[in-house]
This record gives sequence, structure tokens and C-alpha cells, in this order.
Amino acid sequence: MKKNKLVMTLTLVLVMVMMLSACGSEPSDTAANNGSSGTEGSTTGGTEGEAEGTFTIGFSNCSQDTPFFANMTPIIEEYGKGKGVEVISLNADNDVSKQNKDIQDLLSRGIDILIINPVNEDGPSAGIEACNNAGVPVVTVDKNIKKGNDAWVGRDNKEMGRLVGERLIELLGGDSAAGTILEIQGTAGSTTMMDRRDGFHEAIDKVSGLKIVQSSYCDYDRSKAIPATQDLLQANKDVVAIFGHNDDMAMGAAQVCKEQNFENVLVCGVDGLMEAVLKIEEGGYDCTASNDPVLLGQTAVDTALKILGGEKTEAFVDAGTVVIDKSNVTEYADSSLDFATMVK
Amino acid sequence: MKTKMNVNQIIKKYNLIFLLVVFIIISTILSPSFLTLNNFLNLLQQASIPGIVALGMTLVIILGGIDLSVGSVLAFSGMIVSMVVFRFQGSAVGILAGCLTGLVVSAIMGLVTGGLISYFKLPDFIASLAMMEIARGAALLTTSGNPVFNLGDAFHVIGGGFVFGKLAISAIFWVILTVILALVLKYSIFGRTLFAIGGNREAARLSGIKTKRNYVVTYVLCAMLSGFAGILTASWMSTGQPTAGTGYELDAIAASVIGGASLSGGVGSVTGTFGGVFLLQILTNIFNLVGLPSYYQRIAKGGIIILALLLNKFVSKSKVK
Repeated sequence: MKKNKLVMTLTLVLVMVMMLSACGSEPSDTAANNGSSGTEGSTTGGTEGEAEGTFTIGFSNCSQDTPFFANMTPIIEEYGKGKGVEVISLNADNDVSKQNKDIQDLLSRGIDILIINPVNEDGPSAGIEACNNAGVPVVTVDKNIKKGNDAWVGRDNKEMGRLVGERLIELLGGDSAAGTILEIQGTAGSTTMMDRRDGFHEAIDKVSGLKIVQSSYCDYDRSKAIPATQDLLQANKDVVAIFGHNDDMAMGAAQVCKEQNFENVLVCGVDGLMEAVLKIEEGGYDCTASNDPVLLGQTAVDTALKILGGEKTEAFVDAGTVVIDKSNVTEYADSSLDFATMVK
Repeated sequence: MKTKMNVNQIIKKYNLIFLLVVFIIISTILSPSFLTLNNFLNLLQQASIPGIVALGMTLVIILGGIDLSVGSVLAFSGMIVSMVVFRFQGSAVGILAGCLTGLVVSAIMGLVTGGLISYFKLPDFIASLAMMEIARGAALLTTSGNPVFNLGDAFHVIGGGFVFGKLAISAIFWVILTVILALVLKYSIFGRTLFAIGGNREAARLSGIKTKRNYVVTYVLCAMLSGFAGILTASWMSTGQPTAGTGYELDAIAASVIGGASLSGGVGSVTGTFGGVFLLQILTNIFNLVGLPSYYQRIAKGGIIILALLLNKFVSKSKVK
């Protein structure tokens, strides 16, 4: 019995230590994060917009699970601060009903405008309607919603796929290029995946010698892309290039090529993931199209401020992309960042 | 009585081998690339990490429990290892310290789960579900959701290296661990105790077995195997990914059950689980080789789980007659 009690107390202490350490690391962690992204916010912001000092922006993010989304929150907060506006951000954890509640909470905290990265395009419609009724303008960022927003700040994923496809054709020797290209696919049914796929196919289909073989859906996940690449390299003997729907998966493919001595296979992806950009510099990765969260977040804040200032904006604001390869990689390689940025 | 039991067990084992053989034949017909040494070695490597996770799950299932936290523990351990290795810039000391920290942290998580179940009487499903959330949250918290990369070439060898050309080191770990655990289950007191507790917990307790302590030890073992798989994953991908191992718990349960384990406890084998993991990996492999969309793959996976269970049931029924 005594022993039991001892074990019980020990377990309790352990649980508490774990909880405390989890709580303890949080503030320092976010501080470190703000520190790294803060440099961009303070250098680019602060020159203009002091007049809007009293505005409050609400930001509802769909999740913080992936680097891209996790980066967006501090970027918007820091850039907003630099512009002299307050930003309240909430994270919906990929849960549509939580996102609707988040929007309600933001409204009751008296925001002047909502920036939202929706979980999916129909999900937050109840929250958006509440914004419309309250006269609070809505700016969607990254992903769009069906209706009810004033502007969408995003990227043309089809264009990104097409640009990578075109650069790949050049790297393979132009119109005379021939062979099989493996396409490592993202998540089934995602519009980003379909746009990147369609854009890429549009480019490659113009060259008759090139044939695309698609992988099963790998959910943008490297640990699924590696086995898929291994299997596809087994089944297809004349592979000349691999295209991943994001850089994370393509990095996995590059690793397989290195391990299995397919050194001549070109590898490309989308996103401008810094790990991939550094790999381009080092050799073993060939090109990517940037999907810079810094510029995206900053453009979203700028667009929101324009709307608040009564200016008219386009319905779709393109945050732009750039193809990064060996020729221009030095401009973008910076190991202190997570993604290549177009903000200088 | 004893020989009858053995015959039944042999039939059960053959039943999995039968399924494997059927699958290998079908796959060979479908794709000329399937039955090659290269592909077989790829398969071994691909199956090794989920395979090691499934070993721990089988131990817990034999005990009559379930552990939903394996995938999250894998991710958290992988993040810790990656961060330590990154701090020490991939040096040997850093790798050693990282692996040790990863294993210790996993063991603590297993200790908490096991303790909550045995000493605080929480249902295993709920306790491990809670740990699944805690460990995943902790994994994401370490770097605010960012992967850790630039871990150096030395660290990559543990889970991504090869010997004798193309035999993956992680596959060797998987085989060795399977053999050790098979021996432990068969010949050690601890192993026999697991079956006794899983078969009838109350009877085991009354006969003097320390059920609570064994429960905790088993959950610690399971978590450490997941933690080890996390180290291998981080090394294999040369990155610490906080989202790694999502859904591994269900694959591990499926593999254990296909391998003959019963969710009501007291029945199961790690060699059976080895076969179960291999079978599921062949399925993914052949769909990739043939180039069918992964929708079909998931349907087929469900079908195989049902088929394996029905075969098991059929065997035990014919024994009763």
C-alpha cells in the first residue's frame, strides 16, 4: 500500500513537471519566433501608416501545424505592429466550427476588419455572415471563401506549377526533351494540389517526348513521398525528372535519388522551402517556385489597411511568385528563414 | 490439449503466410518490378519504422490494452532528437545525447500513460488518447510547427543508412527487435506474465502477479519503441517533423490484428505482427508500382483487415467442432 502511494505521488509529480515544462517553454518559444520574424516587420513597416493607429485587425488562422501556416501568425502580428495597428490572432486547429466561434469572439472584441485563412472554402460561412451583418470587412488570405469577402490575397498556384514546368523543360534541354517525369501528388481533393498539377501539366504537355507518371496521394508529407518515389523508380526505368507538389515531398524524392544513384534525375517542387533552396545552392535539387509567407502576410495587412482607409482594392490580390534555381539562388538562400522571401 | 493448441496456433500462423503468398503471387503477376531484390529491400526499409511501432502495440494488445499515443510519441521523440542533434551540429556526442534524451522522454510519457491506467484506473483508450494529444501538442510546440533540418550526414546513417549495398540499417533494427521480443514473450517470465494478465487480469492478480507494475512496464516499453522509431524517422528523413507518425496507431493496431492478436487480450505474436506490417506494406507498394490511385488502396486495406480476421475466426471455429 505504501509502495502504491509512492508510485502515485511520483506519477503525479511527473505529470506536473511535464505540464510545467510545457507551459514554461511556451513564452520563450514565441518570443524567439517573434524575434526572427520581427526583423522583417520592423524594417519594412514603420515608415508609413502611423495615422491608422487606432485600428484593430482580427486574424483567424486555419491551423499552426505546418511551417507555412505557423509562420503566418507572427508575420501578420509583427507587420501590423510596425504599421501601428493592433492584431488579435486566433488559431482554428483545422476545425471549421472552432473557426466560426473564433470569428464570433473576434467580433465581440471589437475588431475593425477580419483577415482569415479559412479551413476550407465553405467552412466559416456563418462567421463571415456575422461579419457582413456587423459591417466588418473581410480579407481572405492564402485560401479563399465562396462569398462575403472584400478581397482575397493569395497566389496563383496554377501559375506556380506552370512556371516550374517551363523551367524544368529548359533544364531538360527544351523541346527535344524526352523521358518520364514522376509527379509526387499532394492531398486528394485540395484545390492547391489540383491547380499546381494542372499548371504543371499545361507546360509539360507541350513537349511530346515527355510523359508524366503520377504517384498516389502523399498528403504533402515527406515520409509518404519517400516510399512512393522508391516504388515509382522501380516501376519506371526512363525517369528524367521528379516534380513534387511541395518542396517537402520533393526533398524526400531527392534523397531517394541520391541513395539509389539516380544522380541525373532533376528534382523540383513548389513553395521555396529554405531547406530546398539551400539544397539548390549545394547541388542535388533543381528548382522551386517561391510561396513566400512573409510577402503574403504583409500584402494581406496592406490590403486590409487600404480597405479601412476607404481605398478600392482588386477582388484578387496576387502576392506573386518567383522561380528559384541555380542562377538566382544566392539572392534567396538565408538559413535563418523557413521560406525564401521576396521581401528585401 | 497441448498439441491441439499448437496445431491451432500453427494453422493461425499459416493463415497469415497463406495471405502473404497469395499477395506476393498477385503482385508478381501485376508488376514485373515487384519480385526483384531491389524492391524487396525497399519494402523492408519502408516497413521497418511502422514495424517497430507495431511491435510495441502488440505487447500492449497482448496485455489487453491499447495505446493510441504511439504516433505522437514518435513525433515528439523525433523533434527532441533533431533539436539536440541540431544544437550540437551533428557531432557524435550530440547524436548520442539526442537519442538518449529522446528515449528517456518517450519512457516518461509511457510511464505517465501506464501509471494513469493502472494506478489511477483510467480506461486505456482514454489515457492514451490524452497522451496522444499531449505529445502531439508538445511536438508542435517545440518549434512552433516548423521542421528542424540540417542535421548532418552522420545522424542520417542511423535510420537512413545502408549496409551491404542496399540493406537498410533500420530494417536490421526491426528484425533484431522482433527476434528479441519474440524470445522475451516466449521464454521470459515477463513475457508469460503478459499473456496471463491479458487472458484474465483478475485471475493473474489473484495468483500473485503484480499486474499494475507489469502494465506500467509494458506501456513504457511500447513508448520507448515508438520513441526509437521517432529517432529512426528523423534520421531517415534528415529532418524533425512535428507532424510525423500521424495515423501510425491505427496501422499498428491493424498489423497486430492481422498478425493474429486479439483486442480482448491474451493472444498475439510479434512475428505475426511482423508479417502483418509486411502485408500492409506490400499493398502500398504494389499500388504504387501499378500506378492505381490511393483511394483503391485504402479500400483494399480495409478489405484485408476483414479477410484476415475472418480467416482467424474460421480457424478457431473449426477447432471447436
